Amino acid sequence: MKRNPIVLVVVAVAISAMLFFAVRRARHTGENAPLAVGKLAPDFTLKTLDGKTVSLSDYRGKAVLVNFWATWCGPCNIEMPWLVDLHKKYAAQGFEILGVSMDDVDPKDIAKFAQDKKVDYPILIGQDSVGDAYGGIPFLPGNFYIDRSGKIVDKGFGLIGKPEIEENIQKILASSPNPQNAGN
Amino acid sequence: MIKPLVEKQRTEKALAKGPETSAPMFFTAASFRFFAIVITFGILLLGGAMSYAQEGFGSKVPSVTLSAPVIPSIVRGTPGKAELHFHITPGFHINSNAPSEEYLIPTALRMDAPTDIVVGRIIYPTGQNITLPFAPDLKLNVYSGEFSVLVTVRPLSSVLPGKYALRGRLKYQACDKAACYPPKELPVDFEVKVAKSTHHVRHDPAQSPHIH
Repeated sequence: MKRNPIVLVVVAVAISAMLFFAVRRARHTGENAPLAVGKLAPDFTLKTLDGKTVSLSDYRGKAVLVNFWATWCGPCNIEMPWLVDLHKKYAAQGFEILGVSMDDVDPKDIAKFAQDKKVDYPILIGQDSVGDAYGGIPFLPGNFYIDRSGKIVDKGFGLIGKPEIEENIQKILASSPNPQNAGN
Repeated sequence: MIKPLVEKQRTEKALAKGPETSAPMFFTAASFRFFAIVITFGILLLGGAMSYAQEGFGSKVPSVTLSAPVIPSIVRGTPGKAELHFHITPGFHINSNAPSEEYLIPTALRMDAPTDIVVGRIIYPTGQNITLPFAPDLKLNVYSGEFSVLVTVRPLSSVLPGKYALRGRLKYQACDKAACYPPKELPVDFEVKVAKSTHHVRHDPAQSPHIH
C-alpha cells in the first residue's frame, strides 16, 4: 500500500498538537481546576477567633488577600510577619488580609499563636468547604489575591518572596471596584 | 538478491490484482486499517500523556512508608527492641520527634496497647537541622530520606512462645522547602517473635541448705 507522506506528516503533527495541548491542559487543571484566575472569588462566611462572623463579600470594594495557613506550617510562619508589614503599609489604600486558619486545634491555640506573631488582620477559622470552594487547598500557604471587584487576580501555593507578594498586592490595589469588569 | 518471502507474496498479490486503480487512498481497506492503527495509537498515547500530566502533580504528594520490618526474637519476660525503618518521599522532610518550634507537629509513633506484650519506650533518631529559603535564621529539626524508630517491647513471662502482631500509627507532617502538607497518619504493623527463655536457673551446691 502506498502511503502519502504528506498525510503521514499531517497525522503526526495533529497527534503531537493534541498531546501538547492535552498535557498542558491536564497540568493546568491538575491544580485547582475549578477556580481560575479572572473568576469571581467564591464568597464565604466564617467565624473569627473572637466569634464574630465575617464574609468575603463584606470586603467588596477593597483589595483582599485570602491567605490559607496553619500554625504547623513553617513557610506560613515565615510569611506571616511579611503579611503583617504589608497590611500595615497598604491598609490605608483599602487593602485587607483574611487569614483562614486550616488548623484542627482549639481556636484559643490559634489566637495565642496569632497574638505571638502580632497579627493585626482578621484570622478566620477555616472549613474544608471553603478550601474546596477555592479548588482545594492541597498544601499551605495558599494565597488568593482578590481585586476590588471581587475578581481573583492571582493565586499561588507555597512560599514566595515578600517582593512578589507585594507586587501582587499592588496589582489588586490598582483595580477598579466596578464589578462589571469581573468574569463569572 | 533473494526477496524476503513476505515481500514476494505482496508482489505476487499486486500482480494478481492488476494495475492499481486511481481510487482515493482513503477508501482502500489497507489505508483504512493503517489510519485506524495510527489513530488508535494516537489515542493511547494521548491518554497516557494526560494521565502522566495529571499524575505529575499527584505524585509530588509526600508520603512516609514503612519498610518490611525484620521480626525480632525476644525472650519472654525480658525487654527487646523492634527496629522500624521508614522512608520519606525524596524532596520532602517531616518534623523530627523534637521539632525546634513549639507549634510544629512532631513525628510520633503511638502503639495500641497489646495484652501480652508491654510496649515501653519508643526511641526516635535525632533530626537534622535545616533552614528554609527566606528565613536563614529559622532552624528546623527534621527527618528526610530514611529514619529508624526503635520500639521497646517486653513480652510477659506468661506469654506462650510464637509470633505476636503489634499495631500502631505514625503521625507526621511533611513539608518541602516552600510548602507544608496536612498532617497524616501511617498505620504501622509489625510482629515480634516471643521465644522461651534459654537461661535455666542453676542451684549452686555450695549454697544449698541441703548439703551438709
